[in-house]
Amino acid sequence: MRIVVAEDSVLFREGLVRLLAEKGHEVLDAVGDAAALQESVDRNRPDLAVIDVRMPPAMESDGAEAAAALRVLYPDLGLLLLSQHIELRHVLPLVGTPGFGYLLKDRVLDLADFTAAAERVATGGSALDPAVVQSLVHARAGSTLDDLSERELDVLGQVAQGLSNTAIADKLVVSDRTVEAHIRSVFTKLGLPDEGTNRRVLAVLRYLEAR
Amino acid sequence: MRPGTVRLLTGLAALAVLASAAYVAALGNWALVGACAACAFAVAVGWVIVRHDPTSPVGPALAWTTAAIAVVTVHVGPLAELPWSSGAWPLNLAGLLALMLVFPDGASSGRVWRAVPWAFGVATLGMVAVQWGARQVDGEVVGGPNGAWVPPVAVLSLLTIGLSLVLAAASLAVRYRHGTRRTRQQTRWLLLAGIVVVALLVAGWVAEGLGASLDAAYTPFLIAIVTLVPISVGIAIVRYDLFDVDRLLTGATAWLVTLVVSATIFGLAVYGVSHALSIGTGLTSGVAAFVTALTLLPVQRHIASWVGRIVDRDRHVAVAEVERFAADVRAGRRQPEEIEAVLRKVEDDPDLVVHLARPDGGWTRLDGTPVADPPDGFSIEAGGDVIASVSLGWDSARARRRIADVAKAAWVPLEVTRLRLVLREALTETEASRQRLVEASAAERRKLERDLHDGAQQRIVATGMRLRLLQEHLPAEQAAEVDTAVAELRGTVDELRRIAQGVRPILLDDGLAAALTAVKASSPIPFDLMVGDLPAVSDIRMLTAYLVVTEAVANVLKHAQASRISVTVAARQDRLAVEVVDDGIGGVPDDAPLTALRDRVVSVGGTLGIRSTPSGGTTIQAVV
Repeated sequence: MRIVVAEDSVLFREGLVRLLAEKGHEVLDAVGDAAALQESVDRNRPDLAVIDVRMPPAMESDGAEAAAALRVLYPDLGLLLLSQHIELRHVLPLVGTPGFGYLLKDRVLDLADFTAAAERVATGGSALDPAVVQSLVHARAGSTLDDLSERELDVLGQVAQGLSNTAIADKLVVSDRTVEAHIRSVFTKLGLPDEGTNRRVLAVLRYLEAR
Repeated sequence: MRPGTVRLLTGLAALAVLASAAYVAALGNWALVGACAACAFAVAVGWVIVRHDPTSPVGPALAWTTAAIAVVTVHVGPLAELPWSSGAWPLNLAGLLALMLVFPDGASSGRVWRAVPWAFGVATLGMVAVQWGARQVDGEVVGGPNGAWVPPVAVLSLLTIGLSLVLAAASLAVRYRHGTRRTRQQTRWLLLAGIVVVALLVAGWVAEGLGASLDAAYTPFLIAIVTLVPISVGIAIVRYDLFDVDRLLTGATAWLVTLVVSATIFGLAVYGVSHALSIGTGLTSGVAAFVTALTLLPVQRHIASWVGRIVDRDRHVAVAEVERFAADVRAGRRQPEEIEAVLRKVEDDPDLVVHLARPDGGWTRLDGTPVADPPDGFSIEAGGDVIASVSLGWDSARARRRIADVAKAAWVPLEVTRLRLVLREALTETEASRQRLVEASAAERRKLERDLHDGAQQRIVATGMRLRLLQEHLPAEQAAEVDTAVAELRGTVDELRRIAQGVRPILLDDGLAAALTAVKASSPIPFDLMVGDLPAVSDIRMLTAYLVVTEAVANVLKHAQASRISVTVAARQDRLAVEVVDDGIGGVPDDAPLTALRDRVVSVGGTLGIRSTPSGGTTIQAVV
């Protein structure tokens, strides 16, 4: 996997580069601000950009804005945003779309989870931090999700994080079949069509809408 | 009146005086020549008035007050033989009548007033008719017509002449009542002269009573009538604001009244002492003078104040009005700031301006508008300090004295206004500085939150990352140790994040609704949240609204034993109305301290209300 890292804190940037290299990925470039990121992606055409949300020059949401801009230029580029806190304003349209991830920075301390999420995003999957999901769930009141049971909401939340059925089953300590049953029930309750392969994406979108 | 007519009439008056003087001079009657010369003074003043105001009828009227007297007086010698010489005496009063009818700014309109000169003229003819051909011989009237018509015509004519004079005086009074400030002041000058003349007349009586000769007793009176009246009329028309006429008038009247009272007391004392003690005349007068002085001393002040009230009524009313206002202010019925309007009313001066002295030496208007230059007005002092200054739009000796009189009554409302202004300014300054502090602390919170996120938290994560990388190369036993260390670091990061959240929730960047949603999410009991369309408010207001909710919710969870919390945030004009309702045990007193909460709300200029009934839950309402 070919990766560009954009992170202004030298300490954290070097750690990330080493970590990703250690896991066998090719880090093409490591930059410290939003403009350099844009230029580096233009030059290197990576599979994945790991981006710090808060970066120079403004130290506000420069990284998030750069990510939104990159998505327009390179629809296939995987975007993994890292932040110290949940701050979704500038990337809201991207949340839940394929090839987008948003994690709190301390997730990198779980090396396996982090690299799995990075790989998922690079290959067009999704990776949302549980904290992001939680904040999105509570953001909606009186939506179509009211009909879902607690368990079904749990499962849908995991789906939204980008986990596969098997991964969800492992996490919730139930069988694959149970997970499948829950997901089918969710699809039905949300009125999603039986046909087609993108029902998971639709369910996640429904889950994330109205924010 | 047309300028030509005015000049003609005045000129005729001068001619009449000249002709009279020439006639008596030819007769060699030098006493009457002197009288004519005295009469010429009024004519001269009349001419000055004509030059000053060529259309005013006052000039010719004044000229004729003495010219007519001169013409009547010189009916001596051959002229006394003329058949009308005995009956023409009412003409002595013609000039005075005209003066009273036209002073100070022309004749009054209205049929009654216009009829007065005609009635007077007809009555004068009547008097001439009943004494046609009569002559005085050794004090006895001889000759004249006989017949039944004579007595009634004589009586009727006399009554008419008297009535005419009364009506003329009445017209003067009416013009005074309805007149402008200027006509009133002018009329006062005439009144002043009249009072002095009357006083001198009384003095003449007294002198005559004490045995003075007729000439000695009444000469001051006669001189006064031919000099004081023209002088006062002249001043009234040409320079009515020359002196403070009210003070002169009040003083003159008080003097007259005192004179009459003292003469009476003196007379009674002389009579009583001489009869009771049968002592010498010299001693009697001495005792009488002593008794008079003793009696007058205490009453003098009362007479002066009583006369002032009657004669200078405007001033008395003005002072009373301001005193009433001051009493109303003390009783809380009126606002002290109305003092300027009150002073404008009593001074009848819409351009009057009150300035207040500030403690720093500057000056302001009543509404607090600062004034660049120190005002050039009448200073009002209290306790040795100048507290205010009154600038007159209509500046005159009289207005200045009036303001000095009412200022004594006005200083309390002025001082209250001034102190309130100073207090208000101090409060505004305090509020502004508190606002600055609040904003500074909001900025501090933001910076602190930044520092926690981007500084400490980031370094801890980076360190954790290095440990993880190190871990890959360690044997299993030590690797487990690293796991523990990393878990520790994670806990620290979580802790820091929670602290930063309390300092200023980052979710506020996404709006109050987003931040409150997170509060709802962390609530262990059912939590209803309704957030309406909110106006754009400053960060500090939004943070305050958020903190009101979090602190109120924390209180509910800690104390209220509630089963449900309901939070509503709505727009109220350009502010946020926050309401936190619980169904708990209630019983929070209305004046519960809740100091932190209240301080927060008040510091951004908001209000906080608490409603709580035992077992009926608690409602906290805040507007920020």
